[in-house]
Amino acid sequence: MTLLAALARRLLVVPPILLMASLLLFISVRVLPADPAGMSLPPTASADAIAAARRQMGLDRPLAAQYAIWLGRLVAGDLGRSVHLRRPVTALLAAAVPATIELAGLAMALAAGLGLAGGLLLFALRGEAAEMLADAGTTLLMSVPDFLWALLFILVFGVLLEAMPFTGRLGPALLQPGGTGFLLLDSLLAGDIAAFRSAARHMVLPAAALGIAFAPPIMRVLHASLIDVYCADHIRQARLRGLSPTRVLLCHALPNTARPVLKLMAVQFGLLLGGALLVEEIFAYPGMGALLVDALRNADLPVIQAVALAYCAVVLGIRALVAGLRLALDPRLRAR
Amino acid sequence: MSLLVARGLTVAARVEGEAVPVFRGLNFALAPGRVLGLVGESGAGKSMVGRAVAQLLPPGFRISHGSMEFGGADLVTMPPAARRALLGRDIAFIPQQPLAALNPLQTVAALLDEHHRRLGVRGRRLLREYARAALAAVQLPDPAAMLARYPHQLAADQCQRLLVAMAFAGRPRLVVADEATAALDVIAQADVIALMRALQRASGAAMLFITRDLRLAAGLCDELAVMHAGDIVETGPAAQVLGAPRHPYTRCLQLAIPPMDGPRRALYALPEPMPGLRALARLPGCRFAPRCPVKADYCLRSEPPLAGGAHRSACLRPGLVPAIAAADALSPPPWRPAGQAPVLVLEGLCKSFTTGAWPRRGRVDAVRDVSLRVAPGEFVAVVGESGSGKSTLGRLVVGLERPDAGRIVLAGHDVGAGDAAARRYRVDHVQMVFQDPQAALNPRRRVAAIIAQALEAQGAKFAVRERRVRALLAEMGMPLELGVRSPAQLSGGQRQRVSIARALCSAPPLLVADDIMAGLDISVQAQLLLLLHRLRQDHDFALLFISRDLPVVRHLCDRVLVMHRGAIVEEGPTATVFGWPRHDCTRALLAAVPR
Amino acid sequence: MSGMGTGRLLRRLLYPRWLRSGRVALGLLVVVAMLALALLAPALAPHDPAAQDLTLTLQPVRLGSAFPLGTDGLGRCVLSRLLHGARLALWVAVAAAFGAMLLGSALAYAGGYLGGRTDWLIGRTVDAWTLFPPVVLALILLVGLGAGSTHLVLAIILAEWPRVCRVLCCEVRKGMRRDHVAAARLLGFPHWRTLLLEVVPATVPRLLTLLALEMGSAVVMAAILGVIGLGVTPDQAAWGQMIADGRAVIHQAPANLLAPAAAIVITVAGFNLLGEGLRRTLEPRPVGGRQ
Repeated sequence: MTLLAALARRLLVVPPILLMASLLLFISVRVLPADPAGMSLPPTASADAIAAARRQMGLDRPLAAQYAIWLGRLVAGDLGRSVHLRRPVTALLAAAVPATIELAGLAMALAAGLGLAGGLLLFALRGEAAEMLADAGTTLLMSVPDFLWALLFILVFGVLLEAMPFTGRLGPALLQPGGTGFLLLDSLLAGDIAAFRSAARHMVLPAAALGIAFAPPIMRVLHASLIDVYCADHIRQARLRGLSPTRVLLCHALPNTARPVLKLMAVQFGLLLGGALLVEEIFAYPGMGALLVDALRNADLPVIQAVALAYCAVVLGIRALVAGLRLALDPRLRAR
Repeated sequence: MSLLVARGLTVAARVEGEAVPVFRGLNFALAPGRVLGLVGESGAGKSMVGRAVAQLLPPGFRISHGSMEFGGADLVTMPPAARRALLGRDIAFIPQQPLAALNPLQTVAALLDEHHRRLGVRGRRLLREYARAALAAVQLPDPAAMLARYPHQLAADQCQRLLVAMAFAGRPRLVVADEATAALDVIAQADVIALMRALQRASGAAMLFITRDLRLAAGLCDELAVMHAGDIVETGPAAQVLGAPRHPYTRCLQLAIPPMDGPRRALYALPEPMPGLRALARLPGCRFAPRCPVKADYCLRSEPPLAGGAHRSACLRPGLVPAIAAADALSPPPWRPAGQAPVLVLEGLCKSFTTGAWPRRGRVDAVRDVSLRVAPGEFVAVVGESGSGKSTLGRLVVGLERPDAGRIVLAGHDVGAGDAAARRYRVDHVQMVFQDPQAALNPRRRVAAIIAQALEAQGAKFAVRERRVRALLAEMGMPLELGVRSPAQLSGGQRQRVSIARALCSAPPLLVADDIMAGLDISVQAQLLLLLHRLRQDHDFALLFISRDLPVVRHLCDRVLVMHRGAIVEEGPTATVFGWPRHDCTRALLAAVPR
Repeated sequence: MSGMGTGRLLRRLLYPRWLRSGRVALGLLVVVAMLALALLAPALAPHDPAAQDLTLTLQPVRLGSAFPLGTDGLGRCVLSRLLHGARLALWVAVAAAFGAMLLGSALAYAGGYLGGRTDWLIGRTVDAWTLFPPVVLALILLVGLGAGSTHLVLAIILAEWPRVCRVLCCEVRKGMRRDHVAAARLLGFPHWRTLLLEVVPATVPRLLTLLALEMGSAVVMAAILGVIGLGVTPDQAAWGQMIADGRAVIHQAPANLLAPAAAIVITVAGFNLLGEGLRRTLEPRPVGGRQ
């Protein structure tokens, strides 16, 4: 009950935040010099036709009114049609969003796993000379951005070893099973093992590139918060009660690091989605990033707006999820 | 046959690459079922003794020599696994900060179950029974609700009761309590002490009671060991040590405590703080000699042994100890009310805060309809339990909070509105001394700059400020060269004096002091009390003294206000209120003072 | 300063505590070296970075030859382009990091000091702003603003400031709770002096650390935008563009890809080491934890 109330309290601020985000998006998109009316018509259209289209799209009204119109359509679920691809934007998003979430989710899981292992290793080395070395190692690791890992993996596994596929989501001979759009899930549901294998193999390199790039910050925060927690009185008291070191670590120290680590991961997820943009482009992976880059190159305004909003929605969803997790894990947050 | 025996125990700390002993060659013995009190000021090394029992020393500290035998086995050389088997079962610990010592993510039930499982209790139903029994043993009411709670939902004394319950759950042979009640309110402290005493008697466990409060130790302990600078300077049966001390340090500590009965008397303030670790390591002879009122030349040369029968002391001149007395036995000069207009008048002051969050939003009335007046030069104490609203009252007076209703009249001007004009007026008429001097002094400024802040705000010239700083430092009894130090380089007592000097810089007619003695050692407290009495003679300021410590209030203040749940329930001259309390709350507070 | 000898004072001035950390020294070394290379690029570069020689495309790496790091698909000298690219990368890093810092810290101080509704509004703005991954926001802005290094800096500032603001806000709120801030208000200091003397100094270590780390992320961000093909005009040498070009010839001349990649990693590592080192020396944390 308290948990639900606390979660509801946190969700109360979502509408104003979304409103602000949409305003921000509207303003930054209006900076774009492209004329959506001109582009929505064939090049042969007359000036009158363009003016009519502008009127119809509300582009001749003041900015505030335009924003209201745009917001109204948005709320009604009308995202418009792609000017360049001549398809409804919703259909484009339905294909791209699950692909990106699947990739980002896998990458985050990998980053969390690596981060946990690395953080524990760093903590185990505390106070020893090796700690300095390992710590410097994570700093170095942190300095290699995700897209460089991606290029490196392509160079090593794709080009030199030819061990892994590095373009697209699926092998050429395979058909994408329909359903949710989450390929791993769909192929399993359809019982198509070949498609599952191929999809998994296609995701290994991009997910690894993102996962390795985002693991070091998790390592560091876990390491630092473990050190903080071990200075806390309750850990000393647990040891004074004669609990074994393993139990102290697993049952008392680690749960208390969940709060800062989860907080970091929520922030990281936004950055990871940003990183995924270029990684998708590099691996020709048909996700939101590839869609956005394509739309930007073609000044495809409806798609740009829709994809940017989709990013917001995904980040917001992840934040809500993490907020729920944090509330479930930490009773102190529920009281506030 | 003793249960716990320390033989030549030495703990060394690494200070800037140098191994410095925290205490050297410590010897003591604790018999089963007895309570040994380790008493001394902070930095005496007494906490380190408790930690040495469990071998959980802070980073950089280690046991370099000696042994600590528990039931015949040496805890120092014992393999860690064997030592761990003893912890929680045969040796239990009661910590200083009860709330911090509980895992915030565990419910009371989970915590007790974990502990009982470690003690060998198996089975859900049995665990539940044990948990309920543990709560009942420490008089925690409503076990069903209590078990479902998290630590942050408990009061400090409830947390401490829980930890006491866990300590005694395993029928331990030894309980180590390190400042176990320092973080509690006066009333809660008295209750928890009584509870610990009862459980200790019932279980027959021995107890190592570490405290800096001589009076607490007097009420609880069978034997006492007084520690100074890492040495036990006097030890013996509690009644003898306190009744006829044979070491000047014990005697000085006793004289530094303001008494609760009898006439008000001057306090003995030990000069200088206890020397630091490195200074001590280089000190030849008796380590107390630099502070000792009865030292002779030879005290500085030869180290005195801990000598005597049951009551031993490490002093070469024990015969002179009874002769030590406070500087002048006169009580502080009484305050003469001047027939002037009051410096502070509060009328119907109210303040409430919202608590909790939607949907369980609530309001607490921190201050309810408070009216009072303070005459010029009068020292008025505000006492009460924690949460009684006394700190909020102080913050309202200085303007850190705005009242919901009521008037604040400061030297004839209504400043309740809290607008810019009122703020400017307040600057010259009321200042505040904060509870924690470490937080109250900007660590990035020099002491001189901090003291002269009031003049700096008025745009005074450097020479003017410099003169004022010199005068104030001299009045505070601090050497001039402290002016260039940063607050981090000062001791706790010095910091509090800087804080007072800053507040006095603009010579306001009213000072608000919020629990400024909390956490200070007895000798430092005595120094500050002497200082406040002296400053009052010279500066003629009134003081609103918010405190939890009734003996200090009795020593310092002319009038007392007792607050309870935001309202003033009793007020009057100190002697009257303390001598003939009328309200239950006042009686409870007075009864809880250890004597 | 009677307590401190002149020698010690001099030592503290010339060789302060924060410089004694290995990380800071190494990080500074890398950053200063990079800065020097960037400043001296016109003198050091063996060729004009834009000069094409279509007869000498995709030359391999041969130290000591006319093209020590080879040439790209248009026959341009990779080393020269790398050196000139450093000018752009470091200019963007420094300008964008300072810009993001100014904007972010101004709002953080305003929100943290004033509290109440201002703080709420700034906090929610940051929340809304960070819903967009910084890369996405920078991309959209850059498309609208058009290519050019000033626009690149502006886009990165607008994408990165909320991160600075969020971290600093916490720090300012923590500082505001300390009693010496209240004491300064009671003593009659105006707001700006209280903020400047009592609140800001405690946040300076975090500010410096963030500045160094932000410079690193600005380098990465500029590179990402470059790889996508935005950022600067095609005739300007930039590491991102070099990587984009190198991708096309990954089979024939991997050095075209690896050289700018290495430059990015080294520069970012320099900034990260500097930031990490500053954090450790200026904001001491408990170490060991073996109580």
